[in-house]
Order: sequence, then structure tokens, then C-alpha cells
Amino acid sequence: MHRVSETRVLCGFALGALLASAAFPAPATLLGKPAPDFVLKSLDGSNLRLSEYRGQVVMVVFWARWEGEARQEMPVLDHINTTYNRSGLVVLGVSVDEDARRARDFAQGMKLGYPVLLDTTPDIGRDYSIQRMPLTILVDRSGVVRFSSVGYKPGDDRTYLDKIRELLRE
Amino acid sequence: MNFKYRKLSNMLRSGVLLGGLALAAVTAVTATPAVGAPPAAVADAQSAAPAAPVAAVPATAPAGSAPADSAPADATGAPSGQPPGDFKTLDQEVQRMKKDVIELNKDLFVLQEELLFPANTQVAVYVSMDVGAFFALDSVTVKIDNKEVKNYLYTAREADALLKGAVQELYLGNLKVGKHELVAFFTGKGPVERDYKRGATITFDKGVGAKYLELKITDRVEKHQPEFKIKDWE
Repeated sequence: MHRVSETRVLCGFALGALLASAAFPAPATLLGKPAPDFVLKSLDGSNLRLSEYRGQVVMVVFWARWEGEARQEMPVLDHINTTYNRSGLVVLGVSVDEDARRARDFAQGMKLGYPVLLDTTPDIGRDYSIQRMPLTILVDRSGVVRFSSVGYKPGDDRTYLDKIRELLRE
Repeated sequence: MNFKYRKLSNMLRSGVLLGGLALAAVTAVTATPAVGAPPAAVADAQSAAPAAPVAAVPATAPAGSAPADSAPADATGAPSGQPPGDFKTLDQEVQRMKKDVIELNKDLFVLQEELLFPANTQVAVYVSMDVGAFFALDSVTVKIDNKEVKNYLYTAREADALLKGAVQELYLGNLKVGKHELVAFFTGKGPVERDYKRGATITFDKGVGAKYLELKITDRVEKHQPEFKIKDWE
């Protein structure tokens, strides 16, 4: 009897996990698939479309100003952008902050060298299954997602660099 | 019961054995030409096989290309031992298949469009731009019957394409037969780099056929202002 109830509990957990994974797919599900396209307004007022960077390696970072890890990652990405921009890397920072004005002020204060885009609608976040930030995605020259990473801790930039070099060589 | 079971298992074993033998024989027949020059009987068997892709190529291959039957014969003379004709025909076959896939994709797209947007309910909205000296397009929002159906942000490349004469299909949807109202809002930079927002409205009758509307952005030189019109194409 006890064994039966234990099995039921386990089945319940498994079913729950399955349903949860179906409702909130992990960003890993994007790997190997074409990156969902988007067009967003940047801080300088121009509109940028992801698919227009086909032929270049694109690093897309979804961030929010209240996220500490994102704040840590931004200067690192700026350095990567400065180093690999000439080799064909494009870094796009996408702020998912609902308050566009505050996001703009914050990004301008960071003095970033890469374009920062403002996304105030939930559509793109849904397309990329964002559950936690920062979400870092690497898109290859043919527009396919080849790498994704959630969160940031010091040392992650080495993984980014390895992947970037690998994609730039292709 | 035991006897029946043993008999059945023996039958299965012999069946599997026979199947294996047949598969090995087929593999040997099809593999022989790749190794070296095949005997005439094997070459005939290869050309007779309907599923073999290489055998199917000579019918569609251009006159200059080597037929598959003669390819292994050429291979015997090649020092590397690799038949170059086979690669050529295989490449042609791959190209032909790629072409077929593109054709099929096009047909499926047309079919999908016809199913999703049947002509009797279809409404299509296009955007065009003429000159554009007094207006730099940033976005267009379309509302039909007070409901926003499209909001489109233009990148510099897209705006440039419109200036060069491109016509963009902005919206494709379905509408019932009867009177409808379309409102389009255009935002961008107007004269002297000022933020500019203008609207244009049209009331149209949706008949039985498809409805085509064009949002036209033109320059009014005498007023030094852009002009926004909606043209109803019957």
C-alpha cells in the first residue's frame, strides 16, 4: 500500500514537471532553430531588425535594469563587442523593462558601445521563452540559435568567447 | 502447446534467416558497381532497379553528361579508382531535388494563402512611398473597424527600399462583406527633422472579391509637407 502511494507521488511529480516544461519551455528549445525575428527601437531612435544581421554572428542579450547579474554582464559584453566587432560580431542588448524611459536612462548611464533596444511588449520575451535574466543568445551567420545561457557569473565570458570564436571561424 | 510454440519459433528463425540472406544478396548486387567495373548482367540489373537514384538520372541529365551505365566503365581507367561520373550525376540529382523542394514549397505557400485568406473575404493593405523628401518613415499602425491589426516598425533599409520604389504588403486578413473603416497612422520625421504623426482614413465597401488598399506617402512640394493617401484598388 505504502509502495503504491509512493509510486503515485512520483508519477504526480513527473506529470507536474512535464506540464511545467510544456508551459514554460527552456531557452534550450531554441537551440538549432532559427532565431525568432524581431524589430525594435534602439536608444538612438533607429529601428533594428535581427534578420538584417544575417551573415554576421549576433549576440543577443535580454536584460532588465533591476537584475544584478545583468548589470555585471553588460560591461563584459561591451568589452567583447569592442574586441570582436571588426571580426563580424554584432552585440544587441534588449531591455525588457516596461518603463522605457528608466531603461533608457540606465543604459545611457552605462555608456555602452553596442546598440540597446527597448522592448516594452511581451511578444519577444514569449518567443524567446524568457524566464530569468540575463538571457544570452548566440545566433550564427545563417540566423540559427547556436548557444543560449541564462544568468551570469564571473567566468561565463570565457564560454562566450569560445563560442564566439567558433562561430566566427565558420 | 510446447510443440506449437517450437514450430512457430523455428518458422520465425528460418524467416529471419531467409530475410537476412536476401538482404545480403541485394547489398552485394547494388554494391558491386561501386567497387569496380561491373559485369554486364549486374549493370542491367542496376538500370532495371526503379528505386536506384543513379539509374534514374540519365533520363534527365543533359546530353554532355556521362550516363550512369558508362560511369563505372570510365572508372576502371581512372587512376584514383573513384568514378567521377557518379559524383556528377549525384550532384545533378541533388540539384534537381533541391529545385523540386523549392517548387513544392512555393506551391504549399500559395495553397496556404488560398486557404487562410480566401478571395471572397481577403483584404490586403500595401504601403508605397514616392519621393519622401519631406518625410522619413518610422512606423505605420493600421486599424480596421477600430481594432489595431498591424503595427510595423521600419528599419533604415526597409524605408530606403520603399523610397526606391518597393511596395510592401503590410497586412493580409479577412473581412466580412459590407462597409468597413480603415485608419492608418504614420509616424516618422517630418520637415526640419521634426517628429511627425499623421493619420489617413478610408471607408470602403467589401464586396465578394478580394479588396486591395494602398497606403501612399507622397510629397506636396508646394506646401513642403508630406501627404498620406489611401487608394482603393477595385
